[in-house]
Amino acid sequence: MEIVVNGASRALPDELASPQMPLLWALRDLLGLTGTKFGCGVAACGACTVHVDGSAVLSCVTPLEAVRGKRVVTIEALGSPERPHPLQQAWLEQQVPQCGYCQSGMLMAAAALLATHRTPSDAEIDAAITNICRCGTYPRIRAAIRAVAAQR
Amino acid sequence: MKRRSFLLTGAGAAGVLLVGWGVMPPRPRLGGVDTLPVVDGEVALNGWIKIAADGGVLLAMNHSEMGQGVHTALAMLVAEELDVPLSRVRLIPAGHDRIYGNVAMFVSGLPFHPAEVARHDSTMVRSGQWVVAKIARELGINVTGGSSSVVDAWEVLRLAAATARAQLLGAASLVWKQPANELKVKDGVISHPSGASAHYGELAKVAASTPSGTVQLKPASEWKLIGSAAPRLDVVAKSNGTAQFGMDVRPPGLLFAAIRHCPMIGGSVGAVDVAATLKLPGVERVVRLGSYAGSTEALAVVARSGWHAQQGAAALAVQWRQRPAGGLDSAAILAELERRARDADAGDGGFAFYALGKMPPTDAPAGPRTVMQVYRAPYLAHAALEPINCTARVADGKVEVWVPTQVPGLARGIAAEVAGVSPESVTVHVTYLGGGFGRRLDVDFVGQAVRIAIECGGKPVQLVWSREEDLGHDFYRPAGVAVLRATLGEDGRPSSLRITSAGDAITPRWLERGLPQLAGPVDTPDKTASEGLFDQVYEIPNQRIAHVATQSGVPVGFWRSVGHSHNAFFSEAFIDELAHAAGQDPVAYRLAMLKDSPRHRAVLLLAAQQAGWPGYGTTQALPPGRARGVALHESFGSIVAQVVEVSIVGMLPRVHRVVCAADVGIVVNPGIVAQQLESAVVFALTAALHGRIDIVDGVVRQTNFPSYPMVRLADSPRIETHLVASADPPGGVGEIATPPLAPALANALFALTGKRQRELPLTA
Repeated sequence: MEIVVNGASRALPDELASPQMPLLWALRDLLGLTGTKFGCGVAACGACTVHVDGSAVLSCVTPLEAVRGKRVVTIEALGSPERPHPLQQAWLEQQVPQCGYCQSGMLMAAAALLATHRTPSDAEIDAAITNICRCGTYPRIRAAIRAVAAQR
Repeated sequence: MKRRSFLLTGAGAAGVLLVGWGVMPPRPRLGGVDTLPVVDGEVALNGWIKIAADGGVLLAMNHSEMGQGVHTALAMLVAEELDVPLSRVRLIPAGHDRIYGNVAMFVSGLPFHPAEVARHDSTMVRSGQWVVAKIARELGINVTGGSSSVVDAWEVLRLAAATARAQLLGAASLVWKQPANELKVKDGVISHPSGASAHYGELAKVAASTPSGTVQLKPASEWKLIGSAAPRLDVVAKSNGTAQFGMDVRPPGLLFAAIRHCPMIGGSVGAVDVAATLKLPGVERVVRLGSYAGSTEALAVVARSGWHAQQGAAALAVQWRQRPAGGLDSAAILAELERRARDADAGDGGFAFYALGKMPPTDAPAGPRTVMQVYRAPYLAHAALEPINCTARVADGKVEVWVPTQVPGLARGIAAEVAGVSPESVTVHVTYLGGGFGRRLDVDFVGQAVRIAIECGGKPVQLVWSREEDLGHDFYRPAGVAVLRATLGEDGRPSSLRITSAGDAITPRWLERGLPQLAGPVDTPDKTASEGLFDQVYEIPNQRIAHVATQSGVPVGFWRSVGHSHNAFFSEAFIDELAHAAGQDPVAYRLAMLKDSPRHRAVLLLAAQQAGWPGYGTTQALPPGRARGVALHESFGSIVAQVVEVSIVGMLPRVHRVVCAADVGIVVNPGIVAQQLESAVVFALTAALHGRIDIVDGVVRQTNFPSYPMVRLADSPRIETHLVASADPPGGVGEIATPPLAPALANALFALTGKRQRELPLTA
């Protein structure tokens, strides 16, 4: 099987990559893209959030067969060292991360929100960012999303 | 046993433990240059600091970064004293030398009342602290916990850096033949008015053999970095997916393991049918796991991806066996705790951590001026977002371990024990921790991973627990019950306070698991059981604060703020009850009992003023349907007051705003302190609104986030943090804002509904 991840077609070993294998584990354990995190396995925490054709998707419950022919983008390609995503810049300015484990998922969820809502309301932020952060960085995440929206 | 005789016994035991310690010189914590291995032209100046050839500073980091910002804060201490920009400090892993052991955490484990500690003339306090510091130095146990990292590093790291700087200046003086007092240092470059100039890298070799002379730490007036909100060093890596957590290490040839414990805590593995599992693609083998450092027996499945391992684990057919003593039941345990607490309350039982004045008899008839209530708290799981994991390789008599841990030395110890090699044959790589909160003070999963790796023919294997295994096999925050009784005087304030709590002691169980050589045959009283109760500063002339230590059989561990996490709820909600019984304002009531505690007064006043509490500063009117509550609590050497604003939305309490004031002593990085206060508030809010672990027939009922819910962004309140300026030595930061949240919320809910809640979690 092949999937398109971060703009490149990636071959997955046939003996392991069954159609039912969740995208999360293929990314992490077959492709070595460890920026996407495992937190719950049941679509309840958002740590595994990636983009599939631009939308935020929980990769722990997304089977490989569902992303065939689609564009998968992970945190590794959200920005680059030279051109960080505006949210990554805002994350730095607001000093958002603590332990950092949930932040890949948070950033991917926030980036998908801003892609469809140029200046989201608080209610829209509440509805879109349902990921769990055990360190409680929520107030800073909200502030960082607002800061990016305000620059637009 | 009386408290003082216990302490003397403790001191005697210390003497036995360390034969000859009395004649040994104090172990210097700076360490020798041979403590730090060097490569590529690096020069070690002591056990903490190396200078790179380019003049960069390398700091041996002995503390684990789990979100609390310790990597940044400790690098700041060193950059400050060495006069280099923070960006010039690079972190290297500290090894296992005893100088990297935590001293402050062990000293703070002594059960002294803050009033006794404040009285510096107390011989008992000073000798107790001296003995324990001495023991801690000899043991050299590296622990990141107890909000102690900055406290512990404060003197030693600044001294290490200042000594290095003095040696570098001495070297410049020697080389240039100029008096040292004419030299200037800026950004790691030493210069002399004659025009001579060199960066640290150019002088390091000479400096290594130059005596430092008398070393003086910078006075506070000259600090440039300390006290500044310098950006954290780890933000970029934690925003682009490159930060390496334990789950992210990928040594070549890596295999993956999933685990299924016996669902019944303390139970065992009976007959196993592995046929279906071994037929699955990608599955390599099944490994039977005994008990490691307190774990329940389990089976592990090794496969070529984590998902294949999980599929294999799910396909195992196992006959699980209940533990011989029968299935644990949390409701029965709580009922027993209440019985024990009530008996001890009536009969002057339990271990009295604090006694003052003369208590009224407990059989005196209850009158209008007496208040007696029973408070309860449930078991809690840590639920760090990074699931429990450890990667291990066992090959050629060597063990290599990659692990997110708060205790690298204990990880090394169990790895060596399980693999049957010497500790020196074990290499431990400490990764970033995706949350610790005390769960990663235990090393059960390290033992498991090494055992699995032994079966993997020299290949590395990464053990990852599912969330279900994490919630079902944690070392839980113990459940607790407290009977609180007060007699109010004519002024409405308590003339006597009796608190008798019951619950499992954590420290003795933890020692048995991780440091069995230190576990005694008999439990000595564990301060963490009564902290937050016996050590209150309210001026109450007659007190007896006692604890009944139980052994329920439930695995218990350290959970962010430990005993304070529930004891602050008991004590600060009860104080609020007393204020209402006396018909007095809760802030004024507390202030009247803090006449000799200026720091506590200042923190409480700051919170009240910022919150607009009526009567303090500018009153802020609340919208209809909203009420506020207050709580004040000291823990880990710092003081926090919170004012919480709550309403009821639907069927749940909704917290809108938390004003949090703190005195943490000298502030190293106010930005990180603000982060930690916010963090602890949200962590505590999750526990106060949702947190409970129920155990039935030995099985934990909560399985994943749907049944062990968390506060999310939409439920997250506005949090305002304020610091009281202080010149006192740094106190703890990471845990201190957790304890006061639950009582402040409970007190706000009482103000809103008139219904007093005495059990966690709180409801509408």
